[in-house]
Formats: sequence, structure tokens, C-alpha cells
Amino acid sequence: MDLTFIIFLSSGLLLGWSLGANDAANVFGTAVGSRMLRFHVAAVVCAVFVVLGAVVSGAGASHGLGRLGEINALGGSFTVALAAAVTVYSMTKLGLPVSTTQAVVGGIVGWNLFSHTATDPAVLTKIMGTWIAAPILGGLFAVVLYRVTEYFIRVVKPHALWLDQWTRIGFLVAGALGAYSLGANNIANVVGVFVPASDLESISIGAVTLTGQQRLFLLGGLAVAAGVFFSRRVMMTVGKNIVTVGPVGGWVVVVAHSLVLFVFSSELLQTSLMRLGLPRIPLIPVSSSQAVVGAVCGLAIAHGWRGARQIRWSVLRNIALGWLATPAIAALISYVALYFVQNVFQQPVYQPVIASLGM
Amino acid sequence: MAELKISPFRRTRILASQIDEMLDIVSQAALAFRHAIGHYIRSGWDETAEVKYRQLDEFESRGDKLRSTIGQTLYTEMLLPDTSGDVLGLLSSLDRLLDDMEHCLEVVRIERPEIPPEYHDGWLECATMAAEAVEQVVAAARSYFRDPRAARDYVHKIHYYEKETQRTALQIIEQLFQSDLGLDRKLQLRGHVWLIDRLADKADDAGDALAIYAVKRSV
Repeated sequence: MDLTFIIFLSSGLLLGWSLGANDAANVFGTAVGSRMLRFHVAAVVCAVFVVLGAVVSGAGASHGLGRLGEINALGGSFTVALAAAVTVYSMTKLGLPVSTTQAVVGGIVGWNLFSHTATDPAVLTKIMGTWIAAPILGGLFAVVLYRVTEYFIRVVKPHALWLDQWTRIGFLVAGALGAYSLGANNIANVVGVFVPASDLESISIGAVTLTGQQRLFLLGGLAVAAGVFFSRRVMMTVGKNIVTVGPVGGWVVVVAHSLVLFVFSSELLQTSLMRLGLPRIPLIPVSSSQAVVGAVCGLAIAHGWRGARQIRWSVLRNIALGWLATPAIAALISYVALYFVQNVFQQPVYQPVIASLGM
Repeated sequence: MAELKISPFRRTRILASQIDEMLDIVSQAALAFRHAIGHYIRSGWDETAEVKYRQLDEFESRGDKLRSTIGQTLYTEMLLPDTSGDVLGLLSSLDRLLDDMEHCLEVVRIERPEIPPEYHDGWLECATMAAEAVEQVVAAARSYFRDPRAARDYVHKIHYYEKETQRTALQIIEQLFQSDLGLDRKLQLRGHVWLIDRLADKADDAGDALAIYAVKRSV
């Protein structure tokens, strides 16, 4: 791994750090915010499983993102990741809700425009479709999970203290699954744009062999894991903005969110669905923030009219506006930054692709 | 001395059994209170009444200790983070009921009021209704921990027994002041009736608080 590559990769690692600092709250926010888990316990579990998810199962969603735009020069990868990181950072600073996935997609589209690479409308539609599907799916999962959990509690009638104990264990298990899914699904956002331009080779550490791509995902995963330890403030506030969520409700939200990420990143699930002749679920990075917002709304709606009335619609409107603005802003920043990197810093940001006819 | 760490499961089991013990104590105290008053009306303050009083005194001391231990564990271990305040409020209400029952008997023990026979039935009914209100608080509290939706089934019974206690108490006081007893005895007996009525009032307050706690837990 040469120094140039590490310098270029720094923007991806920065993006990974900010993803950890923001999105870890989607996994463990309700648990830490409701004081069911201590922050350091949540952070350690989250960090370990994010890295595992990234290295073991990160490839699926990464391929999906690569189809949107194969950034073929390190300078381009660096700039796109930087544009996404700047977008996420600025919008977070302004207090606007932001999705890392959307920022990266916007950045790639900006690169496509700059490098005159055609953006595949089918792939773009598929990705944008998940921006609607993820929150809806999160909401549906939350409604079903809430109903099942409520029925279970009503039938079993556990003592409040035992329910508290089970919820804590549930938070740890669901959080570990959520962190694994976050690593598997969102690592593509962090270092996915570096995959086509990376020349990392496979290495063996004892009995474990890591491919070049897995080494890249490991680095990205470690950056996300480092960011997790800076997410305490976000964790303490998440889940309280849209509606107030109790411990059991918080657990439902975490599981629903984790399932959404799992569905969009599991190659095993995709293969199983194909075998059963069911429609394929695209393996692409989805926004964990969108999944959480959908799950929280689903939970409120599961409480009926009383719950729906508690939703702070103005907050929800701001979130939706943020979702529209993020990719547009990221695309613009990416386009402008690519121009500067190419013309001011004299770095190649793309390599022209010569079309060839297969014989 | 190094703090002994116990597993979360064992800690939960111990705490749940402490809460159950607290509820058992209040329920037994209500029974002891009813028996003590009934016995005093029939036979005056003798050895049996003294035994019942000592029993109540022990229940009250144990209740104090349990409330403090449970509260400390809840806060130091961050258990029931969203409802620990309610649980502590509930335990405090139960402890106040223990205090009031003990105080009621203590005053009888000190003053040994002479209750004229024509008031015996009403007096016993008044004490029985107040003790029943306390027992319904215990039932509602048990329900709060396992099935909060069902707690309201007991809360309306608490209201009923409180109203009955008040009705009987007022009846006795009215009759007392229409009687030929001396003012000093009228005032003394009225004071004792009021103590029993206050016990039912406290049970009613605990029931109102429980109704709100139960709604919060069901959401």
C-alpha cells in the first residue's frame, strides 16, 4: 500500500468516521438514550460488529453502488468521498438531517456528469427507489414487530423487572445485528468509490486470508468504528425528535432498522429469494437514518390514532426536505471539487474509457 | 471492602422478590390491622392486641428497609430507567400505608378509648373497609408490575372502599355528636375515626397515582 493511496483514501476514512459518529446512533441511540445500555458497552459492541459486517459481508452492496459509476482514478474517488464528507459534515453542523448514502450517491452522479460518463437510469432509479422503500419497509417491520411484541407481553405478562432485563439483552443482540448490517451495507458508502481504483493485494494473517477488497473494507470499518466512540451526544438525542420512544419501542425500532439494512445487504437472502422464484432485492447501500425514521413512524402508527397524533410532522417535513437536498448538494460540491482537483492540483480524476466491441 | 458483583439475572430475581415481599407485608399488615381493631372492640387491649400491634410495628420497620434497598438498587443499577420514579413513588405510598396502620393502632394502644357498644358494628365496618382499600392497593400494585392494563380494575374498587369508609366514618361521628357522651370523649373518639378514615384516603391517593403509573407503563 503506497503513501499516495493512503493520502487519497483519507477522505473515505473521514467519511467513515462521520458515518460512525452519526449512524451508530441509529443502531444504539434508543438504547443509550433511554438509559437501557451504557454508552461504552454500546460503542464497543457497535465498533466490533461494524468491522465484522464490513469485512465479511460488505461486498454485496458495494457492487450495487459500483454499477452507478465506476470511478476509475484515485483522485476521483478521493474527491467524491470528500464531497460526500463535506456535505454530511456541513448539514450536520447546520442541524439538518442527512444521509451518508444519499451524499455518496450525489457525489458519484457529480463525478458521472464531470467525466461525461452516462448514469445508468435503471441503477439510479433502483437506488432512489430504496430511498422510498427503506423507510416504508422500516415502518412495516416496526408495525409487525410491535404487534408481535405487544401480544407476547400481554400473554406472558412478565414482571416489569424481567421485561427490563430481556429488553436490555434484546438491545444488545439487535444492536449487534444492526451494527453488522450497518457495516455490511454502508461500507460501500465509505470506501466503495475506491474499489475500482484500488490495487490492494490479498494478504494472509494466520489462517485468515483477506482479499484486497476486504483489506479496504477493514480500513473503512475501522474508521467507522473510531467514529462510533464520538457518537455519544447524537445517541442521547436520537429517537426523541420525532416521537418519544420507550425501551420496548426503542428495541422494536432497532430491530426494524437492522432488518432493513440486512435485507439490502444479504447475498444469502438474495440467493434464497431467487431460488424460490421471488423478486430480487437489490444489494445497494441504503440510508440507516431513513430506515430509523420509517421505523419510528411505524411504531407511532402501530399505537393507532393516539400514536400518529404524537408524531411531530414539522420535524418529519424537515427530514424529508433534507433527503431531497442532500444528493443535489453533494452532486454540486463533487462537480466543483473535481474541477478544482483536476485543473488546480493537476490530479487525474477519471480515465477516459475507450469503448470496444466484443468479438 | 470490594463490592460483590452479582449476575444481572440474580439481581433481577432478588429485586423482584423484594418487591413481592413488600407487597405481601402491606397485605398482611392490612389483615393484622383489621384483626387488631376487631379484637380491641370485642375484648379491649389485651395480649392478642399487643401481639398484633408488635406484628404491625415489625411490618413497618421491614417496609422502610425494603423501600430504601429497592430504591437504591433501582437507581445504582439503572434498572427500569423510564419508570423507576413511578416504582419508587408506589413503594413510598405503600410504606405510608404501613405507617398509618401502625400509627392508628399505636394511638389506640396509648389512649385505650372506650368505644360504646352501639358503635361497635359501625367502627368495625369502618376499619374493615379501610383495610380492604389497602388490600386493593396491593392487588393493583401487583397488577402494575405484571399486567398494567388490569390495574384499573382494582383502582375503581379502591375508590369504592374509600367512599364506604368515609360514609361509615361520617355516620359514626354524626351519631357521636348527637349522643350524650361528654365532649372530651366525643373528640377523642372522633380523632380515632378520623385516623381510620385517613388510612382509606391514603389508599385512595395511592390508587390514583397507580392509575397514572399503569397508563404510562401500558403506552
